[in-house]
Amino acid sequence: MAGLELLSDQGYRIDGRKATELRKVQARMGVFAQADGSAYLEQGNTKALAVVYGPHEMRGSRSRTLHDRAVINCQYSMATFSTAERKRRPHGDRKSTEMSLHLKQTFEAAVMTQLYPRSQIDIYVKILQSDGGNYSVCVNAATLAVIDAGIPMRDYVCACTVGFVDETPLADLCYAEEGGGVSSLALALLPRGGQIALLQMDARLHQDHLETLMEAAMTACKGVSKVLDEVVRQHLQEVSVLTGE
Amino acid sequence: MKDTPLANCERDFLLKAIEEKKRLDGRQTYDYRKIKITFGTDYGCCFVDLGKTRVMAQVSCEIVTPKENRPNEGIMFFNIELSPMASPAFEQGRQSELSVNLNRQLERCLRNSKCIDTESLCVVSGEKVWQIRVDIHMLNHDGNLMDAASIAAITALYHFKRPDVGIQGEEVTVYPPEERDPIPLSIYHMPISVSFSFFQQGTYLLVDPCEREERVMDGLLMIAMNKHREICSIQSSGGIMLLKEQVMRCSKIASVKVSEITELITKALENDKKARKAGGRFGFAESMPQERITALKKDETPVEMTDVTETAYDIVQKAEAPPQTVPSPVLPVPGMGQVGLGLQNSWGLEDDEEEEEEDDDSVEEQEEKVTKMEVEQHRKEQSSGDVVEISDSEEEEVIILQPEIPNRGPKNAGSSSDQKGAAKSKKRQTK
Amino acid sequence: MMEVCGSSNVSLREFGCEQSLLSRPDGSASFIQGDTSVLAGVYGPAEVKVSKEIYDRATLEVLVQPKVGLPSVRERSQEQCVRETCEASLLSSLHPRSSLTLILQVLHDDGSLLSCFLNAACMALMDAGLPMSCLFCGVTCAIHADGQIITDPTAAQEKESRALMTFAIDSTEHKVLMSSTKGSFSVHELQQCIAVSQKASEKIFQFYRDSVRRRYSKTL
Repeated sequence: MAGLELLSDQGYRIDGRKATELRKVQARMGVFAQADGSAYLEQGNTKALAVVYGPHEMRGSRSRTLHDRAVINCQYSMATFSTAERKRRPHGDRKSTEMSLHLKQTFEAAVMTQLYPRSQIDIYVKILQSDGGNYSVCVNAATLAVIDAGIPMRDYVCACTVGFVDETPLADLCYAEEGGGVSSLALALLPRGGQIALLQMDARLHQDHLETLMEAAMTACKGVSKVLDEVVRQHLQEVSVLTGE
Repeated sequence: MKDTPLANCERDFLLKAIEEKKRLDGRQTYDYRKIKITFGTDYGCCFVDLGKTRVMAQVSCEIVTPKENRPNEGIMFFNIELSPMASPAFEQGRQSELSVNLNRQLERCLRNSKCIDTESLCVVSGEKVWQIRVDIHMLNHDGNLMDAASIAAITALYHFKRPDVGIQGEEVTVYPPEERDPIPLSIYHMPISVSFSFFQQGTYLLVDPCEREERVMDGLLMIAMNKHREICSIQSSGGIMLLKEQVMRCSKIASVKVSEITELITKALENDKKARKAGGRFGFAESMPQERITALKKDETPVEMTDVTETAYDIVQKAEAPPQTVPSPVLPVPGMGQVGLGLQNSWGLEDDEEEEEEDDDSVEEQEEKVTKMEVEQHRKEQSSGDVVEISDSEEEEVIILQPEIPNRGPKNAGSSSDQKGAAKSKKRQTK
Repeated sequence: MMEVCGSSNVSLREFGCEQSLLSRPDGSASFIQGDTSVLAGVYGPAEVKVSKEIYDRATLEVLVQPKVGLPSVRERSQEQCVRETCEASLLSSLHPRSSLTLILQVLHDDGSLLSCFLNAACMALMDAGLPMSCLFCGVTCAIHADGQIITDPTAAQEKESRALMTFAIDSTEHKVLMSSTKGSFSVHELQQCIAVSQKASEKIFQFYRDSVRRRYSKTL
């Protein structure tokens, strides 16, 4: 996308945001009755649905049971209508498998799996509309779903994708910004301790800019965590009103 | 095959040693193992030895139609094969997690960083472009496959030369290397990955883990950089939690290591170029170490052929004549063709003694056919023998079928009647 | 009477071998014939999957990995040829309910690939210390359009040949363990090629003996 100005002189991006501004986050928890935990999250135009089943007995291969921890099984898929061109292979290709592995790795770090030995926790995430930052939105949605399922976690897991254009970090990239060969960094953070659960970066970036970019990513993640916290508290209020406490 | 599991005492030993800043092979925390790069006979083939980890990369090219959304760019395809030779845990044809991980990391390191000028691979825009395929085979797994693979891949790409192409109007001619010199690929920069392994929840860090260290590590951080200190890719894997300072420190270490490795690669490429220009023999054959006791070489040897013709002639003379070829399809009856002789029809056409007995059994032929053959064999075995006594089994009802032929012992009759009875009862059951 | 031209063309290219070059496999060897080189790795006797186990013998599995691309039908047929030869010479009844895996990786193909596979396989099996009743070696013969027999042909020679044959010869009685042929030829030519291969195999067996002698020269 040569020629598309990602950051104007006044500091506005193509969708009118400032460099450090996040997209609007809207979320609902408990959208499915039959799942143990579920959440729907929208970040700008990217919409994701996350569903959690568990902890339950190991299904499938019994040999993968861990004697002291729970096994986390993640599956990431995109709906065929989520991208501009119909997606022919929603899951099973290399990119989706890689995403599933990354999600698994992120949640293995955050969920307190020692409390559920010999069991399995399933996390399924589906992207309904893809407009950039797929991984981050999945992680945020999955965090809410895990909280909705009542599985204890060390901290919220918040993720954000940041890009680097004209010496400025742009927080929360959308699809148009991602595609332009911009160096993008995806970071999953546990905000309270500042611990990074997953770090992934593509495209060329000079080493000196790494620190600024990471700082920007961490600030953005902390912003996301505030929003998620509000959503959880609000949901709890609603539920407690319904149960009459 | 399954890989031998790691014993708890070995795991404890390794972790304790790491806490005391000691490694199994005596390296320092930030030291790489010895890297050796050799090239094969043809362009684009390269072997990398990282300590005992051994990896082979081969680059090949082909003309294909380009992708629809990128009509004037060539295609790069990477494939990492975890050969079962490298480790007993690798199985042929199975896409394990490690395989997906390595493939994706290498793709992101080399493709997304745009190290190769794909537009220069275009021949005819929208119709024909070069597809460059990099196949990497793991030959021996002693830890840190990712780094070895990235070094092998980028070295092989630098070493590779594609055939020259001439375009005259509509016609595209690909010149073989004998006619026109092949052209090297245009590569912008050399991304090399450096792996850091973390132990004890991120307290300790090691560069270039060997296989034992990989088994006890908590997680891995891979940073791919080039010598201009540009980071091409970062990937953290395994369930570890990192701190920002750790990542910054790793990137500084990585830049130092990458510049060392880049120097090594450029030197190896130059040496190979010199050797090829000098016209000497090159390739894997030459790189075999001569001084080693496990290696031996022998020059071209002639084979004695003096009495070969006579031996061959003798063998052919002594050999049996080939069997008569079966005549072309025979027509016994109009509308029915027969090729080959087939089996002799043994139903009631034989002139032997068995014939009469078979007539008796003709009613239950179908079901008894198998049992009959067994009986026939049994009979044949005993036909040369003397009179056989009746067996001791009480349940048999002995019926002598053909009393006028004495050499067929009562046992035969008994057994046949037994089987006949069995067949009869079987028939009753099926009804 | 078929003509066999002067012995100038009947020669074996220079060959070399290195054993124990990989640390993970139980036995490994690389065999080089001219420019053709093959790397062989052996694992065994090791645990076998219950579905594949044989109660009184070891299960031998051969895998051929081509240099570029995924294994196809041609690799499968080469695997069968090598497997049958190995089964004939290995004493597999000494290791029941175990698996022996032989992996062959093509490093460079410049003709006579199947015989290079066989030679590398034999050296790797020796290196792994697996019990064998006899050693085997592979020799490839090509028959030129004018009837000339060439042993150990290069890829260019193979292309121009009328027929191509590979024989696996055993070391004790110099009998043919396996033969794989391509192209048309007469019975005479076949017998001549077998005789030539038997003669050539003597050289290869001598090479095996020399390399093993050299390898253990410090210990014996």
